[in-house]
Amino acid sequence: MRFLLNVFLLLAIALAVGFGLSWYALTDGRLFGATQVGPWTAWLRAGSPAPDPYTRAFLTRSGVLQLGQSEGVQFVATTDSDGQALDRNCRYRIDGATPTATFWTLAPTSPDGTLIASAGGDPEFRSTRVARANDGSVQLYVSKALSPLNWLEIGGEGPFWLVLTLYDTALFSGIGGSQIIMPAVLREGC
Amino acid sequence: MVRSALFAIGGLLLGLVLHLVVILNLPAVANTTAFGQLLAITPTTNKTVPLVGATAGVGNPLRLDPDLSYAACRLDLRNGPGEVTGSLPVSFWSVAVYDPSGTVIYSTTNRDGIGQSLDLGVFDPAQTRLLAEQKIDVNAGLLIVESRSDDVVVVVRLAPSQPAEQPRYTQQLGKLNCRNIKL
Repeated sequence: MRFLLNVFLLLAIALAVGFGLSWYALTDGRLFGATQVGPWTAWLRAGSPAPDPYTRAFLTRSGVLQLGQSEGVQFVATTDSDGQALDRNCRYRIDGATPTATFWTLAPTSPDGTLIASAGGDPEFRSTRVARANDGSVQLYVSKALSPLNWLEIGGEGPFWLVLTLYDTALFSGIGGSQIIMPAVLREGC
Repeated sequence: MVRSALFAIGGLLLGLVLHLVVILNLPAVANTTAFGQLLAITPTTNKTVPLVGATAGVGNPLRLDPDLSYAACRLDLRNGPGEVTGSLPVSFWSVAVYDPSGTVIYSTTNRDGIGQSLDLGVFDPAQTRLLAEQKIDVNAGLLIVESRSDDVVVVVRLAPSQPAEQPRYTQQLGKLNCRNIKL
């Protein structure tokens, strides 16, 4: 009886560690290949001709058409800068500078990738069509209610993600230093 | 007690092995990969297919950028080296070659000094060898990409400067030539 209990313990630990660790590696991924800067996460080797096994598994699981390394890189924020999950009933300010790139787009999406901007308006922000501060930084608002400056109206209920895509970025060339500077995602009210 | 601890450590080690098995085998057993979706969109080879752009409220499994126009072209290198050629508007564009594992084996943008003319050739290792031996004639300036797989999909992304230009840009992408080079 005791032997059977020990075998049960072994199998329970093996399954929990095996599948739990795999799930963590392919969602959060920070310890396994994903890069995190504030609330933003990116798999920087996703567009590489020789991705590591974790990146390859992440790409398989997500099913997304990732950019090649020369084309750009995508960052995703699922929380604000304080670590709270993004909620469509709150107003968020994306504030700060982005890494050097020919241009970038910022899209609010549901977790399954569907765009959640209100119909009839712009589906996303694009760097070439936003107002900037004198130092080049941006202040972007994402909310259901009317907001100042650059505002993108969203609809629906529930959690959402912010997807920032940098095209033709200097991120991989080392230009501008090795530290990646990303804008903050600030919750301003719900 | 000691025996239970040993079983727990055994479970931990077995869990790590299971984790590695899951990570390493996931690409082989998954059925909703990006490449699989591309094959569904481009059922025939040698044909440039503009991809339907992402719009609000509609599913977007490939996570396409709504500001960009896309076209995909499927090539079978068993029929000879593949090429994708054509002219593109004066705007940012990029091209990526995907193999069946969904890996981008090559990508570039028009910022790399290519200009507005896309001339991309995809060769398998045997064809690359023939090319090196000058047994295949190709146009000067053709970008040569070597693929270990005979099945590849080339995706071209084009970024209109204004949303109103998107239909015209998508139409332009559909005019790209996608074919096998005759040996």
